[in-house]
Amino acid sequence: MVGSGLRIFNAYPAFARRGELFCCYPFEHKPIPAWLTFGGWLGGARNWHFAMMWVLVVNGLVYLAFVYLHGEWRDLVPRKGDIRDSWQMVKFYAFKRKDHPHQGKHNALQKAAYFLLPVAGAFAVATGIAIWKPVQLSLLTDLFGGYVWARYWHFVAMLVIVILSVIHVFMVFAVDPYSIPAMITGNYDERNSPEARNARPFYHLFPRRQSAQSPPEAT
Amino acid sequence: MKFDPKEFVSIGGIDRREFLAWGGIMSAALLAACNSRGPKSAEKLLRYAERKNRVVERALFRHTSMDAVRPSAYDARNKLPSYFISRTVPVWDESVRGKWALEVSGLVANPMRLTLEDLQRLPRVSERVNHYCVEGWTAVETWTGCRFSDLAKLARVSPEAHYVDFQSFDDDYHESWDLESAMHGQTVVAYGLDGKMLEPAHGAPARVYSPVKLGYKNTKYLTKIVFMPKMNGGYWSDMGYEWYGGT
Repeated sequence: MVGSGLRIFNAYPAFARRGELFCCYPFEHKPIPAWLTFGGWLGGARNWHFAMMWVLVVNGLVYLAFVYLHGEWRDLVPRKGDIRDSWQMVKFYAFKRKDHPHQGKHNALQKAAYFLLPVAGAFAVATGIAIWKPVQLSLLTDLFGGYVWARYWHFVAMLVIVILSVIHVFMVFAVDPYSIPAMITGNYDERNSPEARNARPFYHLFPRRQSAQSPPEAT
Repeated sequence: MKFDPKEFVSIGGIDRREFLAWGGIMSAALLAACNSRGPKSAEKLLRYAERKNRVVERALFRHTSMDAVRPSAYDARNKLPSYFISRTVPVWDESVRGKWALEVSGLVANPMRLTLEDLQRLPRVSERVNHYCVEGWTAVETWTGCRFSDLAKLARVSPEAHYVDFQSFDDDYHESWDLESAMHGQTVVAYGLDGKMLEPAHGAPARVYSPVKLGYKNTKYLTKIVFMPKMNGGYWSDMGYEWYGGT
């Protein structure tokens, strides 16, 4: 979706209405590097975009249904104290705090990212529909400030998704590589959790010796 | 702090070397896919999706949905791009081709040949609307002409007609539409732009114009309007852009 979207964007890599200037994008009329794009040409990219949008929507709905039915939304919804906890995580990563803040399933920053991602996804879908059908669904398009702005918000939603995803994948490798097999097979070993290892990016990647800190497991 | 590297090097049965090798192969494959058209085998699926999208788009279509220009929008004026597929601006040469006339034919009870003067005698509408280009830009312009629905009424369109083909003298450029979109109140056969007669750069003597369709569906340099029982593709639609191309 991102690659084909960028290829579509490159057909007119600007936001301004013809005969106007656009306030809020510093790279007007500068195309995105071709190697970041997908689809080969405008028509091809549009066909991919308009086919895969259904996959995105269905995937998103399945995800939401799963998270709801399994009660996992409880680990994701923002709660009182999340901002304070996020600040503590920032301090920890910046070496201003020695020990890893106590966390539930996710640390506060991680939780914010996982909450924001589906929100940005839904926003991308809504703004996408708004620029797909600016006349037939003009109420939706107007909600985002008209076609030009809806197109801009669609781009911003993509940026948010890309940035969150890049940080997410980076942090998986840099802080919690033990979660990679667990993503497929489950059975995450809490003794290897970033909290247990007191792990910052690339710090304390290896688990502490069992004898050192954690009590022996009950048998 | 002491640690045992063995605990890290094997994750899920894949060792570090294998992991790096697979990572390399996957990244190379991803990079190779970039700016490509994607796998050939996907073409069928994409065409299937386009046909299904068409059903969705036609279901969403309402004659009451009107395009409205944002109050803050400026007119594009001379910033409106000019597109044609011929090598030079198509100009109707009366000394070679005789007087220009618009043929309205196909599944109609009353086929017509309308000169520019005939068109101008029909009820005149001016509409300030958005132009939605397939590339993603929009432009605000005021188009003057007659409603397509008025022409259809005069031609007495047969109930078997479900599509309409707009043909031109810009090489073999044409685009066919679903009849609903053509009958939309904002679809006009335009001969004026911004209060002046249409210039060759924008489709003179007359072109179809509607904000309910993307730019490429709005055939310029009109010669024929043909009512049809089936769709008839189009210049850009046959190249791979969506046939429906609706907004």
